Amino acid sequence: MTLLESVVDGIVDIQAHKGRTMLQAVGVVLGVASVVTTMALADSGRRRSMEFFAETGGLRKVLIVNQPSRDEVKTALQLRNVGLSYDDAEALRAIPGVTQVDPIANARVLVSRGDYQKEWNLDGVTPDYQTVYKFYPGKGRFITQDDLANASRVCVLGETAARTFFGSDEPVGKTVYLDGVGMTVVGVMQRKEYFFNRGTFNALEWMNRKVFVPITAVHKRFTGDPDRKVSYVNTMIDKPDNIKKTADEIRAVLKRRHRGITDFEVWDRASRLEQNQQQNQMLNMVFLLAGAVSLLVGGIVIMNILLASFQERVREVGVRKALGANGLHIMAQFLVESVLVTLLGGGLGLVLGFGFTQAVAALIDQPATITPHMAMMGFLTSVSAGIFFGFYPAVKAARLNPVEALRYE
Amino acid sequence: MSSDEIIRLREIQKIYDTGANSVHALAGVTLSIARGEYVAIMGPSGSGKSTLMHIVGCLDTPTSGEYVLAGERVSEMTSWSLARVRNKHIGFVFQTFNLLPRASILRNVELPMMYGGISRAKRRQRAADMLARLGLGDRLKNLPSQLSGGQRQRVAIARALVNDPSIVLADEPTGNLDTRTGEEILGIFDELNSQGHTVILVTHDHAVARRTQRVITLVDGQVVRAIAA
Repeated sequence: MTLLESVVDGIVDIQAHKGRTMLQAVGVVLGVASVVTTMALADSGRRRSMEFFAETGGLRKVLIVNQPSRDEVKTALQLRNVGLSYDDAEALRAIPGVTQVDPIANARVLVSRGDYQKEWNLDGVTPDYQTVYKFYPGKGRFITQDDLANASRVCVLGETAARTFFGSDEPVGKTVYLDGVGMTVVGVMQRKEYFFNRGTFNALEWMNRKVFVPITAVHKRFTGDPDRKVSYVNTMIDKPDNIKKTADEIRAVLKRRHRGITDFEVWDRASRLEQNQQQNQMLNMVFLLAGAVSLLVGGIVIMNILLASFQERVREVGVRKALGANGLHIMAQFLVESVLVTLLGGGLGLVLGFGFTQAVAALIDQPATITPHMAMMGFLTSVSAGIFFGFYPAVKAARLNPVEALRYE
Repeated sequence: MSSDEIIRLREIQKIYDTGANSVHALAGVTLSIARGEYVAIMGPSGSGKSTLMHIVGCLDTPTSGEYVLAGERVSEMTSWSLARVRNKHIGFVFQTFNLLPRASILRNVELPMMYGGISRAKRRQRAADMLARLGLGDRLKNLPSQLSGGQRQRVAIARALVNDPSIVLADEPTGNLDTRTGEEILGIFDELNSQGHTVILVTHDHAVARRTQRVITLVDGQVVRAIAA
């Protein structure tokens, strides 16, 4: 007897017991729906955070920040260190794999322009800033190497900053006073926007509020800092595979320059993303577990109903055995039936899961799709549940004594 | 064993162990049935008639003794091998027909060939031919529930014959039929025997038994008479 014959028999039987079949399938439907929905949403979330990272410089960005020692009593060496400096940043340029180095020095200054007067945050940057943040001027130009060399009295404004200082006036070419120092506006940046989900909160608004000047100008004109300290340094690595290695190299170079003291921290986004994903995974696990429990319950329901309907089939098994069916034939027949039920449940579960995914995706305004791979996984789990939970009734049927089975009323 | 001996039972015992005491359902049955013979097995209820039929039909194995069917020693076979022997050598006809209710009569007749590993096309053809021989050629797609009792038993007979078995074993084949239909069904068995089939009828009805060539009567698990009718 071929497997096809068992399948035909199974389909005939399922058709004859529509109500029973639906009852059997419902747990599997919910289980598979829940599993594929979780997978689709998790996948979509993952892609979404990658997108966000890409929007702000991508994975290849490595951030270096000051991390002064928290010891109560500092050693002489620790006291001699001033933290990250412009020269540290310049030294990083020599490391192979580092394509961009962008030290940033912040200062708090009083901005005045006409009637407008307010404390504002200042970012002293290098030309590399644009490529690191993928943030480019929409009008005019950005800070140049010349500006850097001359500590020029120029500034570039974020879109919101420009509107705040100049209203509807054209800012480029005009002067704005920072702590009383007249700086010529040479450019206005493109507007940056990123909305998570359906929110109205622009996650990148902080970029639009930036005021950029040459980093050398910060040291020379605003802080007067002889050590040329920087707040943090952004670097770009040439390719993702090199991130770990190059980050280690950066640590080594800085440690050497800081007399063997690690008073800084190197954050590569790849490991941060990993951390994020680990947290997400926890959440995914919860949902997958819920799906698994649902599948388990579905499986038990299948087994229960198979066992309950067993009585009415004892005689049939007896007849089949009298006609020459062996244990394997009978087992195959029962297993095929439970697998068919779970396949049916899996199919309906996929449809339902697709619906769930679309609904949730619409609700949080985030595209999510069930990939063929996920559909495959859903089917495989349901079929395994069918085989697993169909096994006991199948073995029980296969072992029936033909004489007793035939006598069964 | 002579060449035209199809069944030989020697000192067959079947003991059911019910814990405290054991029941000797068959207490040493020895008999032989020739190829092409027409035999009735009779006996009151509790005589071991059913047990004998189960052993002859290879549905059960004896506790002791030897059973040779068509040259094969089946008394010591595993359940696995017995399934094959039933498929190849035995054609069952039951009192309650025992057709699969959800399968067409064509599919019911195909079933033994399915377990015998015969190809689909061949099977279909043979099942249809056999049903036609029994006058049901125009009902192939019908479900058993759409047929009368007599027609159902004809389907069962077609199913029993379709694998060309060594013996046809019928257990009270007319028990669920009215007299006229029963007569008709018995006529079919008569005809099968005249065509050379070995037919064994298990019955308690003397009128049925009288049609056969030999009646084997069982009492208390032993053969008391084996006379020519």
